[in-house]
Amino acid sequence: MVTVTIKVNGETRTASVAPETTLLRLLRENFSLTGTKLGCDVGDCGACTVIVDGKPVNSCLMLAGQVDGRDVLTIEGLATIDRLHPIQKAFEDHASLQCGFCGPGIILSAKALIDENPAPTTQEIRDALGGNLCRCTGYTKMIEAIRVAARTLRDEVADQPA
Amino acid sequence: MKRRGRGMACMWYPIGFTVSANPSAAVVKVNEDGTATLLTGTVETGQGSLTVLAQITAQELGIATDDVHVVSADTDATPMDTGPIASRTTYVTGNAARLAAEKAKEILFEVAAPMLGVKPNQLEARDHKILVKGYPQRNVHIGDVANHARVVMGQPPIGSASFNPATVALDPETGQGKPFGTYVYATQIAEVDVDDETGEVEVIRVVASHDCGTAINPMLVEAQIEGGIAMGIGFALQEEILFDNAGRQINPNLTNYIVPTALDMPEIEVDIVDSHDPTGPFGAKGVGEPTLVPTAAAILNAIHNAVGVRITSLPATAEKVLAAINAKRGQQPKRIAAG
Amino acid sequence: MEKKTTVAEKGAPLETVPEAGSMLRLPASAPLATRPIGVLVPEAGHQTPAVGQRAPRLDGRLHGLGQTKYIDDFYLPGMLYAKIKRAGIASARIISIDTKEAEAMPGVVAVVTGRDVPCNSFGPSLKDQPVLADTRVFHAGDGVAAVAAVTEQIATEALDKITVEYEPLTPVLDPLESLKLETPGLHAPNPNIYGHKVIKKGDVEKAFAESDHIFEGSYRTQMVEHVPLEPHATVATWDPNGRVTIYATLGRITLGRADVARTLGIPTSRVRIVATTVGGNFGGKNEITTEPVVALLSKKTGRPVKCTFTRAEEFASSTTRHPLIMDYKTGVTKDGRILARKIRLVLDGGAYCSWSETTLSKACILSAGPYNIENLYAEAFVVYTNKTMTGAMRGFGAPQVCFAYESHMDEIAAALNIDPLEIRLLNVFEEGSLSPTGQTLHSVVVKESLLRAARRFGWIEAQS
Repeated sequence: MVTVTIKVNGETRTASVAPETTLLRLLRENFSLTGTKLGCDVGDCGACTVIVDGKPVNSCLMLAGQVDGRDVLTIEGLATIDRLHPIQKAFEDHASLQCGFCGPGIILSAKALIDENPAPTTQEIRDALGGNLCRCTGYTKMIEAIRVAARTLRDEVADQPA
Repeated sequence: MKRRGRGMACMWYPIGFTVSANPSAAVVKVNEDGTATLLTGTVETGQGSLTVLAQITAQELGIATDDVHVVSADTDATPMDTGPIASRTTYVTGNAARLAAEKAKEILFEVAAPMLGVKPNQLEARDHKILVKGYPQRNVHIGDVANHARVVMGQPPIGSASFNPATVALDPETGQGKPFGTYVYATQIAEVDVDDETGEVEVIRVVASHDCGTAINPMLVEAQIEGGIAMGIGFALQEEILFDNAGRQINPNLTNYIVPTALDMPEIEVDIVDSHDPTGPFGAKGVGEPTLVPTAAAILNAIHNAVGVRITSLPATAEKVLAAINAKRGQQPKRIAAG
Repeated sequence: MEKKTTVAEKGAPLETVPEAGSMLRLPASAPLATRPIGVLVPEAGHQTPAVGQRAPRLDGRLHGLGQTKYIDDFYLPGMLYAKIKRAGIASARIISIDTKEAEAMPGVVAVVTGRDVPCNSFGPSLKDQPVLADTRVFHAGDGVAAVAAVTEQIATEALDKITVEYEPLTPVLDPLESLKLETPGLHAPNPNIYGHKVIKKGDVEKAFAESDHIFEGSYRTQMVEHVPLEPHATVATWDPNGRVTIYATLGRITLGRADVARTLGIPTSRVRIVATTVGGNFGGKNEITTEPVVALLSKKTGRPVKCTFTRAEEFASSTTRHPLIMDYKTGVTKDGRILARKIRLVLDGGAYCSWSETTLSKACILSAGPYNIENLYAEAFVVYTNKTMTGAMRGFGAPQVCFAYESHMDEIAAALNIDPLEIRLLNVFEEGSLSPTGQTLHSVVVKESLLRAARRFGWIEAQS
């Protein structure tokens, strides 16, 4: 067994797990953070995408031990008590998700993109979603929502006093 | 070089099961504040069917979508439903929900009639009110009626109903009969680029004109069409389960079985055709499955238009398209390159 | 090092959380998320009238927050994990199944085989599919035994300890070979051709003789997987009254309840099926798969049991789209009007019937396209092969036949030098047209859809 201490959604958590445990299983089974989904378990579908130290990763491909001491953001950490993250809001407004299973991974891929590139082009959004499969939506309404959310976030930054 | 082509395909598609009974039942309970609960045995599998059913229930009761809470997908708590299959939910379950809401509304009208001093058939439900037809100022809030029904009349406004599409069995010899309650129609036109050196096909644009009867929720209709086109692109160009000689799958994984990603998607223009089916709830038919039906045909016709080869077996992979282009070139006399 | 503050984090409530190694630790089940419960529901859904509104989805917010509960998200106290041993051979007789070694493994709580299933057959029309294959394997994805263990990993390892002795049989993989009568019945006494459909109207041969041109075309489509992002999952738990609750990724719970009750040999009233939200269906989650197996393991162990498909099982052990072989012959006038059409469809029905009968009927009825054709002969067959079972998938044969009839239509148009739009407008249904089955059609807008799409696309201008 290995002891893993990570910062998840701003809180420090520790678990003792078998060495082969993936970050995905750690989140879902040890921390009950079931918003991160298992779709293929081999890094093809992107349903398990989380953000580790600012970068989107397939949590099924990362061992829990590799994340020791690092900072993980899951879908559960995106909203606050009194507001949705602008990406979540835009996805809701545009009916961007259908069955919803790919949603947490897609939204986190989008967040990682916007954090790095506040004004992504449609092609850049497509590229960022390239590792996230969705079978319901054809991605169209997601791409629309991500553009809207990026604009909202830019406006918020612009409105802030320097 | 890349060659552009366009192709069209139209289609028809039925709603519901082929002849067999495929009923849905529903229960609508109007709460004392004028909101409502819908019980349905269908299951949300992503289409947004519960939202559409809430809209249908709300429309019948004259309340808002948000006023309807939907309880679904539990065989203990919800009435039987044939389920989310055969593009039947909006039409069949939708009709059941509307009829159940209508029955609850009839109770509300019976209760409201003496409150407003008219007969029940002079009433209508609209904007959260029960009002006298032609005299909208004579009204009472639906919540007050629902509460009155309960605490004064002792008659809770609960309606239950079922619906099954009318069909006639097919003659076993000739196949003549009426297998379905209704059908939807659609046309998709695809624009593609075909690289005549690699055989690679890129779908640039798809225009999709779909009939779904009344669009109960146009945003969700668009969403279905966009998703169907994605699945149609996979069917046309990418997806195939392969077997070895012993009958075992070769590519049972998403590494080697390729489904469309965001990078494979064309620009999609959705057009909802004006249509109204008197047999559907508020004129609605359905849209789930048909959205994918014409996509592959339109793309394959566009490939032919672009490079003059007809691929008659799906998927039209780059290898297959290139082989067809080369075969066609082989048939033509070789030209000496002009300077 | 200063950490980049994101917009989301700025509003987060400040909390002191003990660092790892201190005496205080958060319980593992504590939710880490803050939920935006103070946010108002969206405006649009408040309006009347409700029909025609672009109302937000009722589940849209939960989806975006990762709060929608799918079956694999369920955990019940004491829950065991099940895995299914797959045959891996397409056609064979089962001589013996030895589970002793698996049962002896530490952490394995129970093993079941087909002999433990009270009624080991199911299917929406023909009941030709075993819950777990016990005497005969019909395709490589068949389950032959199932294990429940304290962890998923132990259950997976235990599968290797189960020994199955097979007498291999030559698999039939080509539907045209299966169609030949001399091919031995795969599912004796059922014939290989387990479904047949004919639609007949007018006199095709006479009309071919009167046609100016005859066109023929052959088209084939492939086997396709639904690929829902959510793999099939089931959780079963029994109560002391002998009632089982099954949480399942099942679209059709009413049918599922009947199938579970029948296979388990218990009254329907003792089965409860809860489906929550299905994470993608497309027809692939319309019938039971492993629900009875999981229920049996739960009954045998007295504990809740969960089984989640791997992606490989999703491909090999759930249904797929029927491959079709489609032959078309069409007689037309020189100006492009269709006088007669003859169609033969052969559906690769895979190892079990599943939804093949429905697919066969829909494919046959729709195969002529949305066109007025007075003389029609359409015949469709569905045959068994030793491949993955084919069943319901979005469109039930319609995408396949549409590919054929619309490719064929363009071939005819090109040969007659008629614009693809014009030849369709000339032949399509109108209000009151008779369908191939003689049904009078209402609310027919296929012409409108053609014209609207053509205008929107710029087809009409492009041609002139």
